[in-house]
Order: sequence, then structure tokens, then C-alpha cells
Amino acid sequence: MLSVEGCLSTKAICVAQRFAADFSMFWEKKTRPVAEPPPFRPIEVPPPPPEVETIMTETKPKLANPSVAGSAHTLLGRTVMVHGQLAANEDLLIEGQFDGTINLEDHCLTVGTEGHVKAEVRARQVVILGSVTGNVAAREKVEIRRTGHVVGDLIAGTVAIEEGAYFKGSIDIARENESGVANEVAAPSALSSSA
Amino acid sequence: MPATGRFQLESSLTKNQQEVSRASASSANTSRGLQWLWQHLSHLRHPHCFECGPIHQSTLDVLLLRGAKLYLSDLITPAQQTSSVYWSVSGKKQVFLIDKFMEQIPAIPPESLSTICCWGLLDLLPREVLPPLVERFHSFLQPGGVLFSILREPSVPKGVETRWWFESLTLLGSSDASQKPFPYPALTNREMERLFPGGNVKTFLTRSGRREVLGVRLP
Repeated sequence: MLSVEGCLSTKAICVAQRFAADFSMFWEKKTRPVAEPPPFRPIEVPPPPPEVETIMTETKPKLANPSVAGSAHTLLGRTVMVHGQLAANEDLLIEGQFDGTINLEDHCLTVGTEGHVKAEVRARQVVILGSVTGNVAAREKVEIRRTGHVVGDLIAGTVAIEEGAYFKGSIDIARENESGVANEVAAPSALSSSA
Repeated sequence: MPATGRFQLESSLTKNQQEVSRASASSANTSRGLQWLWQHLSHLRHPHCFECGPIHQSTLDVLLLRGAKLYLSDLITPAQQTSSVYWSVSGKKQVFLIDKFMEQIPAIPPESLSTICCWGLLDLLPREVLPPLVERFHSFLQPGGVLFSILREPSVPKGVETRWWFESLTLLGSSDASQKPFPYPALTNREMERLFPGGNVKTFLTRSGRREVLGVRLP
């Protein structure tokens, strides 16, 4: 389920709705489901450049992140520009432009190589191959691939940044509190430094 | 996580991390400067560190898995560039655009950092840039905080693109393939003492022709 609040162009609405409805089935046909993401290896052969062409005409899009295959997805394509708040209960791949806040809670956000995101992001896992400006909170992992460009503060269970990626900001690991219970990942706006 | 809540040295290594460190030890050297640094900061549970070099996953793992908050921005790569991005031509003279360079520094609260690892950055910049840059770094350090830098000896003429990273808290990994000559004369210890407010500077000599220089902010 996808919910978007804010300004969304007609074209963007059509694209988002169409792919919210159709893309999971489409994805299952064209890709092999993968249970777990492959282990991240920073200095090995780079992943093949993700090429998600214009969605409406693409017959076989290539995934930016293989780990997102096999589950329900929403794709914001290259021509989509969204301003506002986005919440979803499925994985999201952004190849267009997004400005606002993104809340995926238990799901994965992938910002493709063509994606430009200016947002406060909260998700289970975040993979960045494009550009992100804003704070990112991920309960499990944030990966910035070598094409990624990130300005903002990260808080996550683990963080992996590939050589060649651009990052300016801070990284904080979600820590266990004294009672041994993992702290909830703070909302991005709540990120702050504490000595 | 350190069981005692302190930022410990090697005792908090997981088995896997120890294996990784051993496997890569041949390309890394024990750093007396880093040994001193982490002993000096051993009372801190969650040190705040600013890493100024090119991103290296090993550095992230070593620091983050031990509970550090990490600020990252690669200042060394821009300092190595001779392109017009950070230089302007004024008459016949090239001027380094210090303000533009400083924009690469992330937003860091004043007096919040336990340490800044600027590696060989100070060897790469024009002399006139160093006072404002070191002053800025100094303003980020909390009392007792440490600026860790690696300076070349005058006998080392080449190595602009040398990179450093943490193999472990006290093992310094490096790549030393660069044949590019340094653009400026080597900084002396006296110059570093003048640069760092308070002049509280410690120097550790190494066999590689580099000095590990630690500036400690006075309480």
C-alpha cells in the first residue's frame, strides 16, 4: 500500500498508481526472487550500472538493487517528480525526483542512479546509488554505492559506503541501551549529537 | 559493543574482526600515535570522530563497531586537485579558495569532537590555508580532544596520493603508490606548534619517513 501526501503531477500519479498496482506482478515475472541481499563488498567489482529506462515503455527493467526483488515494489520512474510525504508498506525504488519525507518502516528504499531525493528518510534498509540530501534513519542498514552522493546524517544498524561514493555528514549506529534492548531508530528529525 | 561501556582497544574485537586484522597486518603498521590517542580517549564511551580522508570501509567498521559517532567528509581528495574548482587566478597568481574548501566540512557542533583524523591533509595545502583550517578544527575539539595528523619528513619528496585508514584502532593501513611530488615544503614541528592553539603538540617518529603529530586541545 502506497500513500502519498503533497504535490504530485498528474503524470506522476498515473505512474505511481499504475506501478503500485502492477509492478509487483511485473517484477515477479522478470526477476528471480532473492531471499537475502548479497554481502556487501566495498572494493570488489562494481555492480552493473542500474538502468531503469522510461517505465511506461520498458519491457524488462533492471533492478538497481537485487535485494529488493521478490516482494511488492513501487517504482518512481525517471520522469516522476514528487513533493510531499510518502508512506508505504512495500519496497520503493526511486529513479525520479522526490522532495519531502519518506517513511517505509519495515521496507527497503533504493535510490537508483537517476534518483534525486531531498528528504527525511526512515526505512528498514536504504540503498543509495543516486543523490540524497537529508537525514536517513534505517533500522538495519544503509548502503551507499560508488555512484552514490549523500549529504546528511545517517543512523542505522550498520553502514557500508563503497569506495568512490561521496558522503558528507555524520554516522551514528543505533545502540543497545543499558537494559540490552535495542533502541528504536530515531526519527530523522530527532537526530542529534550527544557526547 | 564494549562490554564495560568503555572505548577499549583490542579487547572488544570480535573474532571475525581479529582475523581480518591479522590477514591485512602485512600492509599495516602499528601506530604509536594511535596507541597514545586511544589511551588518551579511553575514558570515553562514545567518542565523536571526524574522518577527513577518502572513505574506507575498514575505518567505518573499526570506529562504528566500537560505538563512535563518526563525521565524514573527504577533504584530502579536494586538496589533491589542481583543477579550477578550488583555485582561482588573480593576475598571475593562483589563489586557493579556502571558503569553498571549508564548505566541504560537515556541520559539527563546536567543542564536540574527541578526535579529528586529518591524516596527510596539512601537507597538501598552501601555507596560508593552514591557520584558518587548524583553527576551525581546534574549535570542533572538546577540551582534551586530539587532532591527529601525519606529516612527511623533508626527506620524503613524493607521496601526495598516499591514503591511510584504520585496520584496527592501532594498526594504520596505508597505500603508498603515489609518485607525485609534494607541492609545498614539509611542515616542521615548530610550525605545527605555532599552528595549533596552545601549542600542545606531541610527535611520534616512524620508520616510513612520516611523523604522527597529535595536537591536544587544552582543557
